[in-house]
Amino acid sequence: MQLQQLGTPLTLFLLLLFFGITFFISVSIGKKKENADNYMTAGNNVGIGISAASMTATWIWASSLYASATSGYTYGVSGPIHYGLWGALMILFIYPFGKRIRSLAPKAHTLAEILHARHGQSSQLILAGSNILGSLLSLTSNFIAGGALIAMLSPLSFTAGILMVGSGVLLYTLWSGLRASVLTDFIQVVAMLGAVVIIVPAVFFAAGGTEIFVVGAVNLTAQQSSFFSSDAFMNQGAPYIAAVLAYAIGNQTIAQRLFAVREDMIKRTFVTATIGYGATVIGVGILGVLALYLGIEPLDGDTNNLIPQLASSYLNIGFLSIFFIMIIGSLASTADSDLSALSSIMMADIYGRNLADKDAVNPKRMLLIGRITMIVATIIALYFASNQFNILDLLVLVGAIWGALVFPVIASFYWNKVTNPAFTTSVLVALAVFFPVRFGFIELVGPVAIVSDILAVIGVGVVAGLMAFGFFGGKVARIVAAVVIIGVAPFGIGALHAYPILTASLLAYAVSTILCIAMSWRSDMEFDFSSIAKKTGHFDVATSVAASSNR
Amino acid sequence: MTPILLTAYVLVWPVIVAFVLVYLVRAFHGDWLQAKAENRSMI
Repeated sequence: MQLQQLGTPLTLFLLLLFFGITFFISVSIGKKKENADNYMTAGNNVGIGISAASMTATWIWASSLYASATSGYTYGVSGPIHYGLWGALMILFIYPFGKRIRSLAPKAHTLAEILHARHGQSSQLILAGSNILGSLLSLTSNFIAGGALIAMLSPLSFTAGILMVGSGVLLYTLWSGLRASVLTDFIQVVAMLGAVVIIVPAVFFAAGGTEIFVVGAVNLTAQQSSFFSSDAFMNQGAPYIAAVLAYAIGNQTIAQRLFAVREDMIKRTFVTATIGYGATVIGVGILGVLALYLGIEPLDGDTNNLIPQLASSYLNIGFLSIFFIMIIGSLASTADSDLSALSSIMMADIYGRNLADKDAVNPKRMLLIGRITMIVATIIALYFASNQFNILDLLVLVGAIWGALVFPVIASFYWNKVTNPAFTTSVLVALAVFFPVRFGFIELVGPVAIVSDILAVIGVGVVAGLMAFGFFGGKVARIVAAVVIIGVAPFGIGALHAYPILTASLLAYAVSTILCIAMSWRSDMEFDFSSIAKKTGHFDVATSVAASSNR
Repeated sequence: MTPILLTAYVLVWPVIVAFVLVYLVRAFHGDWLQAKAENRSMI
């Protein structure tokens, strides 16, 4: 089947339209004297419409759409569920933690800043460093997705594509930071969700409708035809649960929206984003299932080409333009969130809490640092993107690394006995165990495999316990963790080591949890949580006061 | 799994997305009206 292209003039027109509108919105909210705190938190008073749209848009990125379709193509009918459903549920599971964090530090800018108030510099910098790496890789991944899309759907080159996407996103985010990011997210999410409503049925009916499942059933294996595929769960669902829980907890882009939204709207924001993300990502992932039924081979053997390939095969030029905007919207909304997250980390964590003298933070300099960070981050991400590294693998790796942080971070916000040495040591040792297992430097055979399996089973219990903890408290969490460990042990011990990616993530959870508990249990610390709010206040009080007196 | 059920499985997601979209647009409109009534910026 012949692939349809948009052509250079139409592609440029769509990009100009998209980035022109977002830039116009950004300019419309621009202030001559931008407030440094609002640049990072949008004033802590964003309503449900913008915050829910922004949370949804940030969590949906181009790679998640592509990966969901890849999962559908690889694992069949249950594939998109094992990508989209778990990703969606993790937003829901972290909302109780979000409420707790916000109540402890209502005026904070970053999660790492709260860790600075709770523990000190080393814990803060571990989290801030992992976020800088994660956001840079995410930014790169989104630029790559944009460049690849433009190169496939138009005569323009990949390099031209990443340059246009990179400069477009930077242009509208640079001046107003998170305020621009969340407001443009609303427009982007409307375009993106609107496109899903149109594109998925359009491709389905253009490709043959219900008949696809009659004719194409022979293309699927028994596992691919089943909604209860063990292949899909063990290879896609289970590692993804472990990685994405960590990703949701540790990611500054999510935390930043948590600090931006009106406090009474946190629950509604997270619930709406859960449903919006799940339906969108599973819906687009279904296109991969359709490709499997249709017997389509991905272009150049790259499953990331599946969605654009289906779109350009079955859609007319009008629908193809809508599809183009959908993907550009998904990658731009996440890329601007990454730029805002990176600038906030440099402004609050590096400059505000470390480099500047105590009580002598210069808000103007802070804003300048934030804007310079955005420019430098864009240049670095463009450089990485131009080399076309396998960023998605790296990003999944960062998600797994965050697995080492999840328990110590959550415990630090609930348990007053957790100390800075306990936090730092547990994270670093967990990482030291994670890396050799993840990259196969330690062969999981014999007694090592047994020990690894036992720890991995404990890791499963930790993940289940943490998910229960947010909603039902410590007692239920401990019961859930124990029941899950006992339930999984007979199957897991002797088997889990055959899945090294999953095992490595679970080891990170287990080791960090065991060490953090062991080192904190007998500590003398009685941390006063109310002190966090006092240590995480505003930096730019002068502009805030001036702005309120001008109203 | 019958073809009809699989068809429903494909089409249910755009329907849910449409509901979320309507909810978000209505919520945004509500935010806008409230900001206007209070004479302040939405963001």
